[in-house]
Amino acid sequence: MSTRKRDEILVRDIMLSLTRFPVVGESVFLKEALEEMGRFRLGIACIVGDDEKLQGILTDGDIRRMLLKVQKPFSAFFVDDVLDHAVLEPLTVSCSDTLRHAVKLMGDKQVWDLPVVDADGRLNGLLHLHPALDVLLSDNH
Amino acid sequence: MKKKLLEVGYGEVAKVTIGDRQPLVFIGGPCAIESREHAFKIAEMVGAVCRRLGLQWIYKSCYDKDCRSSPDSFHGIGMHEGLRILADIRDAFGIPVSSDFSDPAWGQATGEVCDLVQVPAYLCRQTSILRAAALTKRPVHLKKGQFMSPWNMKNSVRKLEANGNHQVLLTDRGSFFGYNMLVNDMTCFPIMARTGYPVCFDATHSIQLPTSMGNISGGQREFIPHLVRAATACGINALFMEVHDDPDRAMSDANTVLDIKYLENILGQAKAVHEMRLELLEKYGEDNVHPET
Repeated sequence: MSTRKRDEILVRDIMLSLTRFPVVGESVFLKEALEEMGRFRLGIACIVGDDEKLQGILTDGDIRRMLLKVQKPFSAFFVDDVLDHAVLEPLTVSCSDTLRHAVKLMGDKQVWDLPVVDADGRLNGLLHLHPALDVLLSDNH
Repeated sequence: MKKKLLEVGYGEVAKVTIGDRQPLVFIGGPCAIESREHAFKIAEMVGAVCRRLGLQWIYKSCYDKDCRSSPDSFHGIGMHEGLRILADIRDAFGIPVSSDFSDPAWGQATGEVCDLVQVPAYLCRQTSILRAAALTKRPVHLKKGQFMSPWNMKNSVRKLEANGNHQVLLTDRGSFFGYNMLVNDMTCFPIMARTGYPVCFDATHSIQLPTSMGNISGGQREFIPHLVRAATACGINALFMEVHDDPDRAMSDANTVLDIKYLENILGQAKAVHEMRLELLEKYGEDNVHPET
């Protein structure tokens, strides 16, 4: 595969569609978001408002760090609003960004996932590192 | 978290606003409506105290007491007669009124009269009662069950919200500490306030010793002033107390109701502490010593 062809692969070609990763409303409990993350076997949940705009993300790392800082009981932790523990201005990419650019960004920022949003901030999908690498390393492109 | 203000009062009554940095609101009256004359007498007496102190207030008295320990205890004057008396007090004094209800079938009638409908603490997680309370479209006074953690009250709040009601007042009335004993965990106020809804302290039920006297509840009234000052400093928006002009003869909760002769003393202190807290908020801002929480 030529280098030029690989560079033509866009985020929209590889991103997970909205039904294939955890997307939760801003008023759900933390526990409900964690259950969604477990159901999809992904370490991230995207939090959206009623207008479908991305409000923040919750990752395994956020929870891990929080567990060491917040000493309250699990029963209290579980019913926190998911937004209380979310990263409110996460790194994002757009559908039309190249996959190479997005993967470079992931490496630079040490993240496994990037929410994909449109110009108005509406969530379009999620770029997950594994399928992105599969494509970039594949001989079929 | 956005702080919500609760507007209590429909029609021609003195509307009361509860929440955020509003003045402290008093909710009180006799535990049970004992008679028309007595209900009016207490409304007159409490009204006079609140006027002197410049406090907004809501008259609360129940028409049915469904959680008595003994089958022989006074069960209440009944819904129809009780609501008629509350409606007349409302008209005569121009103040909002409140009662609890313990049967979902009574929700609609209670909401037609009362400005604030109360969900009893023992029933605070009962879906049918919460649905009925929500459907009245009135603000809902939701008491935290003695068996509930303050954070788990969010589940009950959700049930109200799921039925279209977003006007809630959350109240602590103590938590069970072993058998026949309640304690107050003052952290419950900031925890429940994280819902965004205003919070209230029920001082007279908090000093109850549930069913400690075999077939009735006891109480330790001597602690009311201490707990009121503490709760007010912890950020309550409203204070709830049941009062009586002759506690020994009260037909319900005789061991816990506050003798009305002490009401001005207690409310005066609560108002002062509340105002001092608001001044401190102005000076130092909201508490934020552990931002991660």
